[in-house]
Amino acid sequence: MNDELILQHGLTLDEFQVIKDYLQRDLTIEELGIFSAMWNEHCCYKTSKKWLKKLPTNNEIVIQGPGENAGIIDVKDNDGIAFKIESHNHPSYIEPFNGSATGVGGILRDIFTMGARPIATLDSIRFGNISSDKTNYLLNGVVQGIGHYGNCIGIPNIGGECEFDQSYDYNNLVNAMAIGHVKNDSIFYSKPKTIGGLIVYIGSKTGKDGIHGASMASDVFSEDDEDEKRPSVQVGDPFMEKLLMEGCLELMSSGLIESMQDMGAAGITSSSVEMASKGNVGVNINLDKVPLRQPLTPYEILLSESQERMLAVINKDDNEKIKKILKKWQIDYEVIGEVTNTKRVVFTSKEKIVVDLPVDIIVDDAPEYDREFSLPKKRKNRNFNSTSLSVDKMISNYMNNLNYLDKSWVYSQYDSTVMGETIKEPGQSSGVVKIQNTDKAIGATTDCNPLYIRINPERGMIYTVLEAYRNLIASNIKPMAITNNLNFASPLDPNIMGEIVLSISGLSHIAKKLDTPIVSGNVSLYNQTNDRPINPTPVIGMVGCNLNWKKLIQNKFISEDDELILLGNSLGVNFSPYYLQDQKIVSSTCEYNELLPPDIDLEIKTAKFIQETANKDLIQSSNDISRGGVFMSLMKMTYKNLGFSIMLDDDDIFCEYSAGYILAVHQKNKDEIINLLNKEQINFLSIGQVKRDTFEINSKKLNYSDMIEKYYKNFANIIN
Amino acid sequence: MRFKILIRLKNQILEPQGKVIEQSLKSLGFEEFANIRQGKLIEIDLPDTLNEKERLKKIDAACKKLLVNEIIEEYEVLG
Amino acid sequence: MSFKSAVITFPGSNCDRDALSYLRDLTYGEVFNIWHEEISLPKVDLVILPGGFSFGDYLRSGAMASKSNIINEVINHANGGRYLLGICNGFQILTETGLLKGALIQNKSIKFLGKDCYIKKKFNNKFNCNIQNNEVLQIPVAHNEGNFYCDQDTLNYLQDEELIAFEYCNGEHSLDDANINGSLHNIAGITNENRNILGMMPHPERAYQDFHASKDGKKIIESILS
Repeated sequence: MNDELILQHGLTLDEFQVIKDYLQRDLTIEELGIFSAMWNEHCCYKTSKKWLKKLPTNNEIVIQGPGENAGIIDVKDNDGIAFKIESHNHPSYIEPFNGSATGVGGILRDIFTMGARPIATLDSIRFGNISSDKTNYLLNGVVQGIGHYGNCIGIPNIGGECEFDQSYDYNNLVNAMAIGHVKNDSIFYSKPKTIGGLIVYIGSKTGKDGIHGASMASDVFSEDDEDEKRPSVQVGDPFMEKLLMEGCLELMSSGLIESMQDMGAAGITSSSVEMASKGNVGVNINLDKVPLRQPLTPYEILLSESQERMLAVINKDDNEKIKKILKKWQIDYEVIGEVTNTKRVVFTSKEKIVVDLPVDIIVDDAPEYDREFSLPKKRKNRNFNSTSLSVDKMISNYMNNLNYLDKSWVYSQYDSTVMGETIKEPGQSSGVVKIQNTDKAIGATTDCNPLYIRINPERGMIYTVLEAYRNLIASNIKPMAITNNLNFASPLDPNIMGEIVLSISGLSHIAKKLDTPIVSGNVSLYNQTNDRPINPTPVIGMVGCNLNWKKLIQNKFISEDDELILLGNSLGVNFSPYYLQDQKIVSSTCEYNELLPPDIDLEIKTAKFIQETANKDLIQSSNDISRGGVFMSLMKMTYKNLGFSIMLDDDDIFCEYSAGYILAVHQKNKDEIINLLNKEQINFLSIGQVKRDTFEINSKKLNYSDMIEKYYKNFANIIN
Repeated sequence: MRFKILIRLKNQILEPQGKVIEQSLKSLGFEEFANIRQGKLIEIDLPDTLNEKERLKKIDAACKKLLVNEIIEEYEVLG
Repeated sequence: MSFKSAVITFPGSNCDRDALSYLRDLTYGEVFNIWHEEISLPKVDLVILPGGFSFGDYLRSGAMASKSNIINEVINHANGGRYLLGICNGFQILTETGLLKGALIQNKSIKFLGKDCYIKKKFNNKFNCNIQNNEVLQIPVAHNEGNFYCDQDTLNYLQDEELIAFEYCNGEHSLDDANINGSLHNIAGITNENRNILGMMPHPERAYQDFHASKDGKKIIESILS
């Protein structure tokens, strides 16, 4: 076993030595493959583990925190919501269609492996500068791939984000989130319960897909690498996964499964090792029994990432019943091993032992690093001059910037209403689905503000979470818990490691304040090419609930003459990073001022106010204020021929806000709302009204149809 | 023996993918490529024990029964 | 006299659950869910072939489902004059069986289309009789292959016999073109000559609940029950 082979497997020579010292013998090539997969960043979190331990992960509504396939929260009456977000960044750069499709497939399996029926997906996708053909190719491939998989399997996409920034030119990001509904007394875990239980393989035959995918997830690309990496990408079959999902859910509801784990990154290896580790047991698996698509070596079988496969533990008495159910769903099924009490992972092939490792060294004793990190430098205070820009010019800058335009070009390629329970589709502040046969509404959003995080990772992360929080509150969904996908460049750079450490610290702080624990998540590091790192992009997926869907509020204008009330505090031009960036007032990150401290107490107070008044039916509709300020918030609220007429300080129209919302209130409720706002001592400003066919700012009228046409159609125009 | 069945949309039917492919090729410098239409290829193994007439009869039957929608498609057998 | 109905589930059907709710909530009669491998159908008044990706939409949408065991029974049910409704993939299956004329091919945009669309009644039948002439319905579509095609002779026949049930049209204040997928003559749904079989691309089962964006989908069941 030479050094080159070890390094090719993504292990450092030191890491290899640790293994060899522990085992007191040489490794087989298959064993090297196992460590290559399991000791990879993607599987063992060696860089981030130390810091992730600081996150709040529990409170009275958490049924399952991080550590299982998905997190689960309690939404009363024995109903649970399972959810998680995961990345498929590197594969989707190499082959955007399949890379993103299989990302969706993987996250859905994480949900139904716990006995939860998936009820919604969201996607957070980021690309480089649209002027490049490559970006156009990636955008099309990724959106088609996500649509292909989600639409075919029949789960509605209810929201997400789509951002363009040059930092993602060579490293686009695809983060897929899924939500599922489970009965709390029927949750399935990966931990086997019986020694002697049979280990069974359920799903597609195994082929050469994705061999070394888990390693690829953590490799840094050099520009020439693409073609060499191409064969690694897995190809998904959503039809197969639909059958697999129905088959598994039927098995689970029939009480025929003891434990279940999906085969995701590093396939059979990671699923069997994790099962053994959780259950504190051993596994004996005969690789000759694994259903194959083509002849494979034991090494290849162990590392294959062929899609749509599950590993389960069953009682041998149930074997025949299980076969019958799976035959109906046309799913392959094979008994491949058994659960032992040795606490060792043993794989055999052709009656030879090819792997015999203690579980501990693979999982619990996987490396954990305390990488060097540096804190961001102090910033000089600057004053920026914005008065040279006319309102027309500022609007034009936004209407020609993909980040501000309506994204229906993306989400109309997704099915948002399949399953018949969608209450809010993409394009609203948050997506919402109802739990079938109940009145409960489950809301979700994905958000990230990479620019803020670049300026100040800790504060920036707090702002990001608060934006997700406001997105749910604006629909009157009570925020409950978080899943996070940390996308960063190389942690070997102390600056970037600092971004990781500090954003986790910010996340921890705000999650405690809001009482929204982190119940699941994913880390994707080394997102950089030729020393060009991505912006720090820790994506937050936030989920919440309103027990009565009738109390939800709309995010679009409902009736003419509704009063528009502005809540929150303007950050001012000097302290609004997106304003400064997108109005092209600033060109380098070091020029920005320090972020103002987020006003968490005001955010919580305002959220409480909105929930209380919405529950009393005093609010028609609401939208939060974020990138693009009051202007964008109002644009997003336009609906059919309902526009607006407002009066507001020029400066405050476009810059960002703290605890910012627009409330549209029926005239008959206006006085009561204002009284309540005064009573609660929440700053507000009555800025105008909803008006038919009107687009008026400070007495300046723009053509309503033109503006609507631009906002809703320019995205497609710019892309094509 | 391995056979190939080429299935294509009938000429009078709009085949939108072909047009887009044509545009992309032109923008890559393949100016002379024209009238592109995208179709489908199905490959099958049939036992050698059947003679040619029997094989073609079976393939035709399979095409008419399932593989081809004769309202919109036509096919050609190779191999 | 109670109204009985059934929804057929094929491997890959993903709107069967929705169709079952639609029938249970609006007809108050017994609703059966029939697996495609069954060889008999209970005697019912209405059968729905639901939307989805039966058999993955592989080969052609609806092609393999149209050869399933249960289809013979579905044909018998329709030949007996009882109602048969094919929604989206169900419409595709009906054209593949030949019970309805024409074919559904790829959307002109070559993209999947998931959005609200607007339709109105073209010619009267038992599935749309409760809908006024010129009344615009808002109902979601979600399809890759919703582009209705037939040759000139068939189009003449559909027009002369008044078998076009629904046409795509403009929605009030909508920014989009009426014809969302390139369908010939904006055809969104057709019936057979006997008008007891309807195939339509939009999903009425996603437009009937209080929390849905529109409740216009109710009108189809209400027409059948009237």
